[in-house]
Amino acid sequence: MTAAEEDSTTRPAGVAAGQGRIARLGVGGWLRWSWRQLTSMRTALILLFLLALASVPGSVLPQEGIDPAAVTQYYQSHPALAPVLNRLSLFSVFAAPWFAAIYILLFASLAGCVLPRTIKLVGSARQRPPRAPRNLARLPATASYTTGLTPGSALESAAALLGRRRFRLHAGEGWVSAEKGYLREVGNLLFHLALLALLFSVGLGGIFGYKANRLLIVGQGFANTPTALDVFRPGRLVGPGDLQPFSINLQNFRAQYVTSGPEADQPLTYNAGLSYQAQPGARARHYTLRVNHPLVVDGVSVYLIGHGYAPVVRVTDGTGTVRWDGPVPFIPVDQSTMTSEGVIKVPDAKPSQLGFAGVFLPSAVDVGGTLQSAFPSALNPRLSLIGFSGNLGMNSGQAQSVYQLDTQGLRQLPIAARPLAAGQSLRLPNGLGTVTYLGYQQWISMAITYDPGQLPALVAGFAALAGLILSFLVRRRRVFVRAVAAADGRTEVTVGGLARSDAAGGFESEFAELAQLLRAEQHGTFGTEPQTSGEPENGAREADTAAAGPDRHEVALTGPDGE
Amino acid sequence: MSRLPARTRSALGAAAATSVVAVLAATAVAGCTGGDIGANTPGSSGQSFVSHSYESTFYQVGDRAMAPAVTGSTISGQKLSLASYRGDTIVLNFWGSWCAPCRAEAPALGQLARTMASKDVRFMGVDIRDQADSAAAFMQTFNVRYPSLNDPGDEIALEFHSTVPPAAIPTTLIIDRSGRIAARIFGASSYSELHALISKVIGQPA
Repeated sequence: MTAAEEDSTTRPAGVAAGQGRIARLGVGGWLRWSWRQLTSMRTALILLFLLALASVPGSVLPQEGIDPAAVTQYYQSHPALAPVLNRLSLFSVFAAPWFAAIYILLFASLAGCVLPRTIKLVGSARQRPPRAPRNLARLPATASYTTGLTPGSALESAAALLGRRRFRLHAGEGWVSAEKGYLREVGNLLFHLALLALLFSVGLGGIFGYKANRLLIVGQGFANTPTALDVFRPGRLVGPGDLQPFSINLQNFRAQYVTSGPEADQPLTYNAGLSYQAQPGARARHYTLRVNHPLVVDGVSVYLIGHGYAPVVRVTDGTGTVRWDGPVPFIPVDQSTMTSEGVIKVPDAKPSQLGFAGVFLPSAVDVGGTLQSAFPSALNPRLSLIGFSGNLGMNSGQAQSVYQLDTQGLRQLPIAARPLAAGQSLRLPNGLGTVTYLGYQQWISMAITYDPGQLPALVAGFAALAGLILSFLVRRRRVFVRAVAAADGRTEVTVGGLARSDAAGGFESEFAELAQLLRAEQHGTFGTEPQTSGEPENGAREADTAAAGPDRHEVALTGPDGE
Repeated sequence: MSRLPARTRSALGAAAATSVVAVLAATAVAGCTGGDIGANTPGSSGQSFVSHSYESTFYQVGDRAMAPAVTGSTISGQKLSLASYRGDTIVLNFWGSWCAPCRAEAPALGQLARTMASKDVRFMGVDIRDQADSAAAFMQTFNVRYPSLNDPGDEIALEFHSTVPPAAIPTTLIIDRSGRIAARIFGASSYSELHALISKVIGQPA
């Protein structure tokens, strides 16, 4: 990369080689330019902004992945606009090619920015301290003293002391230089690598993870296999055999509501008693599923996301044969009263197919002649049905919603819309049969999510934070020691220091302490007291006291000294 | 996501209002497939296994997974095991009486079961997410004479987990004489397509 860069900057294109070379260098230069543009901070920020902007339609328009029914509804209310929006993938924004383009570019931009930095940081973290400058007195922090030791042993003891204090050392003729605070680079490195790991983890979830939904009636069970899931959204590399083979049985469900006060009808608790097996043949375990307390099986989280009623209905056709006998899930249309609507289809009724559209009232009360539900609990459940006969449109093979009747081929039966109490029947005209309301069952809906990137993303997030904190708190600082023989036979030792980053202060006191320790160890006497210059931008600091060893020395801090 | 905050008591209710309807509506479309899902919910096709449109796969002799030893009770309450058919070619159909594509393919399956019986081809069904009365009614309507295992808890479907799992309803598997899965069809199959595939498995020119 660097060699290529030099190539283009030092040699005018086309001079060294012929026509072909111009084109090649041109392309190379252009690529290099675009790469530099892509990996620039500005581009990353623009992409990040675009990503945020691109998610907006995802929350404004109904999304196929979240609410397919709303999309269908949108099609009905905007017949002209909807196909156009669909062409632009606006009903599945997060799966749209243009959305993918933005995040792939963002990933490339971040990776292209972070990777070279990482390599640089590794180099910087492994660097030896530089040679000591000639004139240590010009450094921001200095001290000098004389000692009876020879220059060599003075440097040796200084190196030993600095080494004990975990400085990295580099010694030369008449000098020792020491550096500490490499942890700052390590923190920086950690932050960058964690950032990459975070991006990678998010991608991992999208490739190997999946999301699914399932509605389950009390007393029934299901297994985590594609045919048993109502909605199944696998990641790119998830096959039908990759699902964790657990199974769940719903044993009971209990919803409690506030019965009085301003919050009446509001739900208090939901408890779904499950028994589950991690795999076929495994021991059955129990779990009480509650809101925000998912069941975790084999790394898969199962959340309770909804509940409702399923009236139990028996339909006997004109031949006297029972054609349906069981619970039918109804969808709540009003959460505060749990008034629910649903459909019963009996495609194999003879002589004619039968369909029913029903309203279930869990706590029916008479309000001015019409029945309404007054409370979400089933205190006085009633089921009212409208009957249809004819062609349900199911035998053509056209998939249809089990919660909707296609009334095109159906004829409404003239039956009185008398709400049924448990055990009551409705006789259909023309000898088409009878329908009996037997009682009700409850159901829950569950969201099943598997995201193998979740834990790595969490770890990477914490690592990034730790790295960031480390790089903010730790400063790189250097201490240099020079020792020369003085005329009086003693040795003059000069200590200089500087903090390489203007992060958190405190270097002055650390330096003073070090200088004191060095002097004390070498039984020296100070020529000049340890001094440090304050940061110019902050102005002179107040005098600071450094406590070191048995004797305390006042360390005077002077103003900026022309560095 | 669709998790609900515990502190807001109405949260479940509110989310249920939107998400449950979504879930349910999707059950409808996704649960039963093979048909043109796009007609019901635009844009959903291809996003989910369940919304696969018709797809058939033939496995060469060396690449065939052993079918699990499935046993269970039929809709009419009799014991039935896949192993008791060993030595014959088995056509295993996963279906539900509520599933429109299953209803569309049922006449072809019933007819093939009768015509291919002489070639030692046995048919067996696995009834998924169904209710006994409506399943029996379905079999009567379409004159389906071969037995079907009742699989209300998806245990049979799950047993195929590590082999060739059914990924849509209907799914049809053709199991060869040695008990290995030789072919798979997602979605409603037609008489001619299924006939050709069975013939290929039993080693006759299609």
